[in-house]
Amino acid sequence: MAKLNIHLISSSRLNLKFVNLHHNFIATMDSNNKQFSGGKRYKNEDITVYWKPSACVHASYCYRELIEVFDPSRRPWVDMNGSTTDKIIEVVNLCPTEALTWKWNDEKKNESVDKDQLNHVLFRRPELMDSNETASEEQPASVKIMVDGPIVIKGNFTLAYEGNTKEIKESIISICRCGVSDHQPFCDGKHRKIGFCD
Amino acid sequence: MEEEKVQKSQATVEVIDFGPLKITGNFILKDIKRNTETTPGEIWLCRCGKSANKPFCDESHKK
Repeated sequence: MAKLNIHLISSSRLNLKFVNLHHNFIATMDSNNKQFSGGKRYKNEDITVYWKPSACVHASYCYRELIEVFDPSRRPWVDMNGSTTDKIIEVVNLCPTEALTWKWNDEKKNESVDKDQLNHVLFRRPELMDSNETASEEQPASVKIMVDGPIVIKGNFTLAYEGNTKEIKESIISICRCGVSDHQPFCDGKHRKIGFCD
Repeated sequence: MEEEKVQKSQATVEVIDFGPLKITGNFILKDIKRNTETTPGEIWLCRCGKSANKPFCDESHKK
């Protein structure tokens, strides 16, 4: 999720409310969904590095070997300009889990990758091999009108609310349709209590 | 560095104060109850619960 702008937070109560609502009501998408990788990806001109936080066991090889690229105290914590492609590949291959994996941006090169490239996605996360990322980035957002319930919006979109705009990435929000939620504009499940029916 | 590039055509969801939800751009609208799936490009969805034309806004919130 994108970083929050501190100036916005401190400038007004409305903005603070916006931030709090975001925190509580925007859900990251299920990592099982094929369109999404369950984490973030970082690119330079040669390769893409995938970061899957749920798989990290904090073995710490990444930042001990290459703090210029992998700095947990920085946001974003991966800076692909911090070193050479060869060095980044070398260090990603040290990761003992699938938390850090990589692949060539040139798909043809991914088809003949050597087995000593331990953390290439082909070996660690084959589900990322056949994902057409260009297509998935251009995937339209999904807007679902739930039966007697909220509007569920999923995917990548811009959310404009109380004078702020925010890029929502690979996430889900649920907007109240019955008018009685205590957490407007988000759904808090109250439509069931009042028997909302459309 | 490139991180999660945003597409120009991506959808915009605008919560209008005391009004409907305006959605424009690249999105698919699925209405589960009415079993429809469309790509309207621009819609205003009712947020007050009073519209006679749900899920769309009919300006009943102003009444």
